[in-house]
Formats: sequence, C-alpha cells, structure tokens
Amino acid sequence: MAMSRNEIFQEVQEVMVDALGVDDDEVTTGAKLMGDLGAESIDFLDIVFRLEKAFGIKIPREELFPVESMMSNPDFVDNGKLTEKGLAELKKAMPHTDFAGFENDPDINKLGDLFTVNSVVNYIETKLNAA
Amino acid sequence: MSILPDSGIKFKKYQKQKNEKRLVKQSSIAKIAAIMRFILIDRIFSLEPSSRIKTVKSLSLAEEYLADHFPAFPVLPGVLLLEGLIESASWLVRDAENFAHSMLLLEQARNVKYKSFLAPGSQIEYTVDAKTIEENVSSFTGFGASDGERIVEAKFGLRHFNLADEDSTMAAVDAEIIENMKKRWKLLKN
Repeated sequence: MAMSRNEIFQEVQEVMVDALGVDDDEVTTGAKLMGDLGAESIDFLDIVFRLEKAFGIKIPREELFPVESMMSNPDFVDNGKLTEKGLAELKKAMPHTDFAGFENDPDINKLGDLFTVNSVVNYIETKLNAA
Repeated sequence: MSILPDSGIKFKKYQKQKNEKRLVKQSSIAKIAAIMRFILIDRIFSLEPSSRIKTVKSLSLAEEYLADHFPAFPVLPGVLLLEGLIESASWLVRDAENFAHSMLLLEQARNVKYKSFLAPGSQIEYTVDAKTIEENVSSFTGFGASDGERIVEAKFGLRHFNLADEDSTMAAVDAEIIENMKKRWKLLKN
C-alpha cells in the first residue's frame, strides 16, 4: 500500500477533522490531540476506528494510545508522575512518539501532550510499511 | 391485505401516531430528567449580568464516573469539564432572561482544548464571557483553571427554548423545570 508520508498525513488530517469537528487548517503535524484539537477519552476510540477504516489496518487496543494500561497500573504511576518502570513501558509501547520534553518531567498531567498528529502519522507509516 | 374496513385502518394509524407521540414525549421527559441529574458546578462566585460569570467546582473522589476514568488515575472526564463551562454559561442566560426558558442546550462547541487534567481534591474555576445573548441563542468563550493552570478552554453556543413552543401540552413540564432551576439558583448563588 505504498503511501507517501504526505498522503498518510492527508488521510490522518481528514480523520481528525471528522472525529473532532475541527477545521483542517487546525490539524498541523505538531498539533496535540487534546491540547490543541480538543480530543478526549471518547474521541480516542473514535479516532482509532476511523484510522482502521481509512487505512485498511487493524489497530490492536491500546497500541496507538496506551492510555488505560498506563493510567490503570499503580506500578507505572506514582504521585502524579510516571515511575521509571512506567516511563520505560510507555516508551516501549509508543515507539512512534517523541519523548524528548516529557522525559525530564514525566508529569502525568502532561501525558496528553505526547499524543500529536505527528505521532499518529509515524504510527501509520510504520504499520503500512510492516504490512 | 387487511381484514379491517377502511375506517378501522385509519383509526389504527391514528392510534399508532398517538402512541409514538407519547413515547417521544416520555423519552424527552426521561432525557430532561437525566440532564437535570448532572450538576457540574458547585458555586457561582460572581456574575456581571449578560457579561461574565465565574463559578467553581470542587472535584470529589466520591464522584461515580471517576472509578473508571481511570482506576489508578482518576480525573474529571473532558466532556464534564465542558459541561461545567456550559452550566456556567446557562446561568448567565437564565439571569439575563429571567428564567424565561426551561431548555438551555449546547448548540455548538469550537476550539475546545484540554490542557491539563483535574484530579480529586482540586478545584476548577470557570470564567465564561458572553459574546451575545439573544432571545433563543447565545454565544460564549470560556476557560477553566485550577491552581493557576489552564485545564480547559472552549468557544460555544447555546440555544434556549420552551418545550411548549413545539407542543403546548408540555407547558407544565416547562414550569416544573423552571421551578427546579430557580431552586438550584438559590443554592448556587448562596
């Protein structure tokens, strides 16, 4: 399914517009799903479903947005921050994500900032190349 | 192919329509009751008529939806942060129109942003500014902050009406809703 990165981005952009009711010019590569586009819990489910349909792929639960597994596990979260174990697990679970800033202060309140349009494009690219 | 005479068929049709109307009405009342069960603000701190309202909500660990959202990390769901903004705006409208309408519903929301999470034990202060308040529609811009940190922002519009506008038999329901809102107003304004 040789799609260029830009083609992938266009599709992802359309998914975000449909799922979140935002304008396409709001969906930039750096846009944060929660902080900029207003995505919240219910939306993540919708986004995954739409991506599966748009790209003809299967996205296993928690593979794109490993939210529940992180937030539900007391080994990974302590006093509002990710533990070392939690951070390591998260990095393993989200190779498509840039952890640069987050690593220095793994404040759980900032977890949402990790989910950017770019990380979604990265994920899809990897998935399609593996197929 | 029916064994009923023509008048019988017409009567059945009429009965069916009546039934459907009754079911719609019942489900509307059920929906209204469900909406009224939510109270996502605890106190109105200040109100400049038709202009700005500031409210506060304290988040309690005892709130039922927190148990699943999320088990090891309870935070107020985004939709309920938005609901707090909507409720705050609603009181501005009710005050401006002197409780003329029973139904105040979200018509649209734009530029919604979830900047951070709200955890139990925290308070969120909502500040909502009215852009316009007309008879049946209004528009606002608002945000919620906790401990100096932005939690949620949104631009949104409401529409306001009475059920009796569509169905005069619902006037009594309107009156009851308005009475309940007046009582809640007293608790919030304190």
